[in-house]
Amino acid sequence: MRARTAREAAGRPGAPSPAVHTIELRKEFRRTVALAGLSMTVERGEVFGFLGPNGAGKTTAVKLLLGLLRPSGGEAMVLGAPAGDLEARRKIGYLPELFRFQSWLTAREVLRVHWQLLALPSQRAAGAAGEALAAVGLAGRGDDKIASFSKGMQQRLGLAVALLGEPSLVVLDEPTSALDPVGRHDVREVIRRLRASGTTVFLNTHLLDEAEQVCDRVAVVERGRTIAIGALGELLGRQTAVRLRVSGLGEGWWHRFDSFGRWVADGDSHLLEGVEPARVPDLVAAIVAAGGRVGAVVPERQSLEARFLELLGRS
Amino acid sequence: MSPTLVIARLTLREAVRRRLVAACAAITLGLVALSAWGFDRLSHSRSLTSGEVHASVPQALIMFMFMFSFVVALSASAMASPAISAEVDSGVLLTILARPVRRRDVLLGKWLGLAAVLAAYCAAVTSLEVGVVDWVSGFLPPDSLAVGCYLFAEGVVLLTLALLLSTRLPPIASGVVGIALFGAAWLAGVVGSLGATFKIGTLRTVGEVSRYVLPTDGLWRGAIYYLEPQSLISRAVDEAAGGAANPFAVPAAPAWTYLLWVAVWFLAVMTAGLVSFERREL
Repeated sequence: MRARTAREAAGRPGAPSPAVHTIELRKEFRRTVALAGLSMTVERGEVFGFLGPNGAGKTTAVKLLLGLLRPSGGEAMVLGAPAGDLEARRKIGYLPELFRFQSWLTAREVLRVHWQLLALPSQRAAGAAGEALAAVGLAGRGDDKIASFSKGMQQRLGLAVALLGEPSLVVLDEPTSALDPVGRHDVREVIRRLRASGTTVFLNTHLLDEAEQVCDRVAVVERGRTIAIGALGELLGRQTAVRLRVSGLGEGWWHRFDSFGRWVADGDSHLLEGVEPARVPDLVAAIVAAGGRVGAVVPERQSLEARFLELLGRS
Repeated sequence: MSPTLVIARLTLREAVRRRLVAACAAITLGLVALSAWGFDRLSHSRSLTSGEVHASVPQALIMFMFMFSFVVALSASAMASPAISAEVDSGVLLTILARPVRRRDVLLGKWLGLAAVLAAYCAAVTSLEVGVVDWVSGFLPPDSLAVGCYLFAEGVVLLTLALLLSTRLPPIASGVVGIALFGAAWLAGVVGSLGATFKIGTLRTVGEVSRYVLPTDGLWRGAIYYLEPQSLISRAVDEAAGGAANPFAVPAAPAWTYLLWVAVWFLAVMTAGLVSFERREL
């Protein structure tokens, strides 16, 4: 059976085309292979995390999707059109990883220029600029020159620019790299709002906790190739451990509950591995029935970082 | 508004906001004022006869306009050299080119904005200098509009070349190459004049060929012609017939075939710039 081309995937009758679909997308810079055959599908309306270590080819992939680089091979469709298509770009918001705005413009002027480049009605420009600035926490700085902005503020403005014109797909390349914890929290809130409004978000990041908090699905790339892709739950595996803090049962109490799984002492708490999630309430009931006091029951799952390192073979 | 015009307006605004226009205006006003003083001294000198004054004022005006042609060339090269490469390096163009904008819109918009700055400068400097000389000495060149147009065309040639270089070279490299080529073309024109004076065919050919390879000197000679009064033109014709040539005197206006070549040169360099930028990986 032959593989579906990206064009076919983008044009299924009756079904909306995926936001992004690539098949064996390749990019070589002379002798360096930056992307060695990337295949992935990002569905409409999801927050898709694109993870990988530095130099894995993440930014190269993003630039290929936006038509800023030409592929050496393979196919890429974005919003149902070949990557780089002019009309499709009208519906894409993009925050690059390394960028600068014109230092001699004000934030509002930058937004106005981008509004004009999107060819949107000029009478709505001022209102849209105000909304975009408010969304990223720059409401009071619209008339300040970019030259006076910190790197973090420029990144916030970059996000505001990416949100202009209600895009169907927002591509964020390391959107929080220059931000403080408050800024990171704000960006996560923006991403959640985008998901709630049905906007697809393609989040290129190496910050795994960030991906874990906002992404529906993730792809892990290394050396220009996808090594894992799927929903976060699938990728991390289902929950198989519970951490308990119990008092009132004396030394070695846990041996009475060996039938639920394998116990591991870990400081002042105990980890029960291999337990079926459905049996956790029975375990708690049994401990209480035996006269124990349950201080904490914390479901444990493999962290994305641990899984990430495992996938990269570095655990 | 088309993307080309959006970029052109942005480029114009940059020239104004970054004080390029203010700096050029200040230095030009200073030089024009200085020239007014100089031409006043020259016109009212008691050691010169009126015939000598009539001969020297146009010649001095040509020298002053040569200095302004250098300012035009330097400005064109300095403005265009960072136009693409610096914005690619800094990432400014990443956000713009991710929009529904073709690369040719960006290049043409930048060209249009910078050409507008040059046009305004050439118009201002020509009318100011010619006006001041007319005021203090009573000499008015035969066709000031043509002088301004040739000056502008010379700047546009260098602007287009620097923009092409900017699609591939870093700002400093393209600026240096642009100015070096301008200087080399002018020097080749002088070498050509020497070749004509001393009847050395090879040197004369160097001058001729350089005017086709980079038409800045050829266009500057067009400006000279329209600055010259009839007496200077007649003298230049006599000198040329006698085998002598002066790099600041021209016996004839550029032929229409030469102007046609300049148009072809411009289209070829502009096309090369568009293709080069289109193929550049960002």
